[in-house]
Amino acid sequence: MDKFENAETLVKVENLCQFFKMGTAELKAVNNVSFDIKRGEVFGLVGESGCGKTTTGRTIIKLYDATSGNVYFKGQRIVAGVRSYKENIKAKQAWLKAELNKLNKDDPDYESKRGQLTAEAKEYIDEQKRQIKLAKHDHKCCDKDYVNNLIAQINEKYQPLIDSADEQNKQEVIKKRDLEIKNAKKQRLITQIQMIFQDPIASLDPRMTVRDIIAEGLVIHGEKNKKVIDEKVYKMLDLVGLLPEHANRYPHEFSGGQRQRIGIARALILNPDFIIADEPISALDVSIQAQVINLLNELRETLGLTILFIAHDLSVVKYFSDRIGVMYFGNMVELASSEELFKHPLHPYTKSLLSAIPLPDPYYEKHRQRIVYNALSEHDYSVDKPSMREIAPGHFIYCNDQEEEKYKKELQE
Amino acid sequence: MKELKLSVNNLKISFRTDDGTVQAVRGINFDLYKGETLALVGESGSGKSVTNRAIMGILAANAIKESGEIIYDGQDLMKLEEEDFHKLRGDKIAMIFQDPMSSLNPIMRVGKQMTEATLIKGKVSQKQSKEIFNKTLALLNKRMDEARGNEQENKAYCKMFDDFEYKHLELEYSYNKAREALENAIGDIKDVLFRIEKRAFDNVRRDLAEILKETAHTIERYVVYARADELKGLLAELKTLSRITLVEKAGGAARFLLNKKQKKDNAQVAEWDQITKKLEQVLDILNEADGYVKPNFFAMGYYAKFAKEPLPQMEIEELNKFLRNYLDEKFMLYFISIAKEGVLYSNKLSIEAKKQAIQLIDEKLPFFDGDSPPKTSTTELCKELISAVEKCIDKLDVIKDNVLYTFSSSLKTSVNRYFEAIIHNVQEEKRFERQTAKYNSLVKRGKTPDYTVAEKDLVDLKVAKQDIVNCILRVKQKMQKDIENNDSIDFDAKVVSLIDFFKEKASAVVFKVTKAIAKNRALKLLEEVGIPEPRKRFRQYPFEFSGGMRQRIVIAIALSANPDILICDEPTTALDVTIQSQILELINKVKRERNLTVIFITHDLGVVANMADRVAVMYAGKIVEIGTAEDVFYNPKHPYTWALLSSMPDLDTKEKLEAIPGTPPNMIYPPKGDAFAERNKYALKIDFEEEPPMFKVSDTHYAATWLLHPSAPKVDPPKQVLDRITKMKKMQEEMLNG
Repeated sequence: MDKFENAETLVKVENLCQFFKMGTAELKAVNNVSFDIKRGEVFGLVGESGCGKTTTGRTIIKLYDATSGNVYFKGQRIVAGVRSYKENIKAKQAWLKAELNKLNKDDPDYESKRGQLTAEAKEYIDEQKRQIKLAKHDHKCCDKDYVNNLIAQINEKYQPLIDSADEQNKQEVIKKRDLEIKNAKKQRLITQIQMIFQDPIASLDPRMTVRDIIAEGLVIHGEKNKKVIDEKVYKMLDLVGLLPEHANRYPHEFSGGQRQRIGIARALILNPDFIIADEPISALDVSIQAQVINLLNELRETLGLTILFIAHDLSVVKYFSDRIGVMYFGNMVELASSEELFKHPLHPYTKSLLSAIPLPDPYYEKHRQRIVYNALSEHDYSVDKPSMREIAPGHFIYCNDQEEEKYKKELQE
Repeated sequence: MKELKLSVNNLKISFRTDDGTVQAVRGINFDLYKGETLALVGESGSGKSVTNRAIMGILAANAIKESGEIIYDGQDLMKLEEEDFHKLRGDKIAMIFQDPMSSLNPIMRVGKQMTEATLIKGKVSQKQSKEIFNKTLALLNKRMDEARGNEQENKAYCKMFDDFEYKHLELEYSYNKAREALENAIGDIKDVLFRIEKRAFDNVRRDLAEILKETAHTIERYVVYARADELKGLLAELKTLSRITLVEKAGGAARFLLNKKQKKDNAQVAEWDQITKKLEQVLDILNEADGYVKPNFFAMGYYAKFAKEPLPQMEIEELNKFLRNYLDEKFMLYFISIAKEGVLYSNKLSIEAKKQAIQLIDEKLPFFDGDSPPKTSTTELCKELISAVEKCIDKLDVIKDNVLYTFSSSLKTSVNRYFEAIIHNVQEEKRFERQTAKYNSLVKRGKTPDYTVAEKDLVDLKVAKQDIVNCILRVKQKMQKDIENNDSIDFDAKVVSLIDFFKEKASAVVFKVTKAIAKNRALKLLEEVGIPEPRKRFRQYPFEFSGGMRQRIVIAIALSANPDILICDEPTTALDVTIQSQILELINKVKRERNLTVIFITHDLGVVANMADRVAVMYAGKIVEIGTAEDVFYNPKHPYTWALLSSMPDLDTKEKLEAIPGTPPNMIYPPKGDAFAERNKYALKIDFEEEPPMFKVSDTHYAATWLLHPSAPKVDPPKQVLDRITKMKKMQEEMLNG
């Protein structure tokens, strides 16, 4: 597929759902979305406004509590919703009721059959309840678990050393181990995910200096040494192409592009592995857009960042991302490498989206035919329910059996 | 020839701020022709929006209009009073703003916001039109008298024209009312059908009953044609059908309480299907009625006023023919022939006046050769010239001539500027002398002053005087051209257009804009801009709309007064691609249908390529490159255009993006020479010293860069741009070959 095939999976999103209450109804902002992001990869998420791409990003970083589904980061579950388990329990209870009604009361085996069914249901329900407990625990205590894991790893690593060392060295080794454990206790998993926000004006506090804004994360995580803070802030400013003297200024003194750089510096100071960039360039001027994209590209190479890039400007997403997921009304409808997606778009919504990209070419633009996508007339999901299916290696589409064949045929042509 | 709509000449605007004067626009020129789209491209702060605010007359309070003129419809918008601007703004020049949320009033229903302008403008235009109509007709009468004598006949004919003009409009007015009722009925039925289709049954039954009543009423009152009986039958059936459902509803409600799930059972759906079918039939008939040919009311008005006989019973097309012939025979042909005499005479007068004016100018022009013309005699001379030129204006010509109409104001301005400059120069000399004396005395006393005397800031009087001369020469040239072209004027067409002009003005008088009409118009517009269920949407608040829908509302409001020029200030920047392309398609469609003139501001080159006929690239308050879209995209000449083109990725970009280094210059201290030189890697030495003039690339394509100077080194555009252009050419060929 591509160069990231063998890389470690950094983020794994599994059947993620995020529903919002709207009176009595529910808004399904994100509905059953699954994807992986490999280490070092840029994953683009596109779709029209209101399709749930930003909500997906915010749920991953736990700004919302997921309704159901899981997100794994570095193998540790950080987001877990419980709705699906609760629904399972309800379904099982209904099933049990129906089955019991079916039984004939005059049947001699009635009692035993009933007991069997009840036990079966109870076992299942207990399992689900256990899952709920686990999910709630994971969702709440992922940082704690992560630290405990780290400590356990360190202990494991040092145990043979301590055992084999003689009396003299033993103290030193234990000291070393304790220091590492002390450091490990400060680690937080969730700080390794950071976010760059869309609007560089609204996302910076106008009453804080740039230094305060950038250092805020550090201070919250217990850094008290001013010298260390300053040093790190200057390093970050340098990294994003600003000058150290900018640290004492306020956000309003900067242009849009510079403000976005401050936002990036703030996201980078805690040394994250994974960055969620929520439309970082759509509020910027053309010439500044190119500067910020170039900066993100450089940072990605030098720091080895993994990025979830949310945008609606498809040419930029194409340029910047390795793989792209297309979302439509809360569902992921197509997922493929960026080359593949633009070369062989299969889902009608993707086609419509691609046909809407404006290019700086008058002749092309004046003859461009926009494909209109109408979900209701395009698909018939009344009988055959759709799901995410792999049409070609690495190319997933949300479709049902009938469509799967159609798409496969299309791809062969 | 293309009709010139708007011309901007040497526009300079700055803003007073705490830090100093920001020079936002530094002398830009462009012309705008009817039916074309001009795109202004550039970074934020390049002066695109300021230019357009100046055209709209909504500059901020700290703005200084330094110089320049914006000529529209014979008026200079830069010198227009606020009161007069009210008549133009929204009515003739409308604007779509960038942010649909902040340009709508959050506490007013959308419907009210849409009809507001129509209602206010209706009242204003009624008065104005009446005045213009009467004045022009009186003038025509006068000219006819002068041309051919026989005053009684002239007067009688003009009176007849006046009378039946109004009669026909009354007839047309009632017809239009009927049409509106018909369209209303169609819209209502479409609405109900939409709701039935979407299974949104809330209140459908009640609405349906109401609509049926109204439709029946409409048909009885206004629409008379062959299929009326059939339609009545259908309506009766529908009535009974809907009554059944109403009765069922009462039963259904009880059932509903007992069992929620039976709410939409199949029987009911079938019934709805039946209603849908019937409604569609009704709709077909109504649509057919909608497609009928419009009677010729102009002719019918004459017949009704003077024939004193009932209308003959005929098919509408035949009737039209008959009425037309009747009108032509009895009145129109003769009226046209005598009106033509009047128009010819008026033209002759104006040509003669022009000849005299040219003579006068030739005589008086040497007056400005002298060193310093005295003020009093100059003003007198100007008055003489202005009155001479004003005589040249042919008031019976429907198309207003910009140069002649603005001569008075522009001449006065340039003369004023000249005399102000003289006073200013004297004061400046005095100041300089005084300060130098002080400085020298300080030096004499052995002190070293810590300042230097500021240089003399003198206005070049020769240039100022030349401005006056140019102003006069321009009008002279224009008049000479008019005299030369006079033989080729088609006077028949001119008379016809004059009569059309009368019709238009009269219709503005008769058609009172009532609330109902305004509402209907707004609903039609909502449909036109692609908002489903306009009737329901009409009563909603802006926050109930999504971003794209909101922008459509803003567009509909801009179009509601039927403007001449539409200014779009980044209308799609806040929207995503699919909505953006819908909105662009919409603007293009509306533009085609109404032959609108559009100024489109954006920084997205893809959007420009889609929309623009011509493109003006702006940087630091100046137009650096202007040409047709093909010129600018396939043959860009200015380094800034190159930089813009190469800084955005397209679908095939792999290599590092070529970002434009640095930021736009601070316009409080605009850089010397070419403003882009600082960020330009192709900058020549001269770019830092002297501002480049506009070099001509082709007849339509101009660019302001020293690279086009014959002695400049030859520089090719960056590789990305060249690659892209070759790719585009290839794609074009592919598309052409299928």
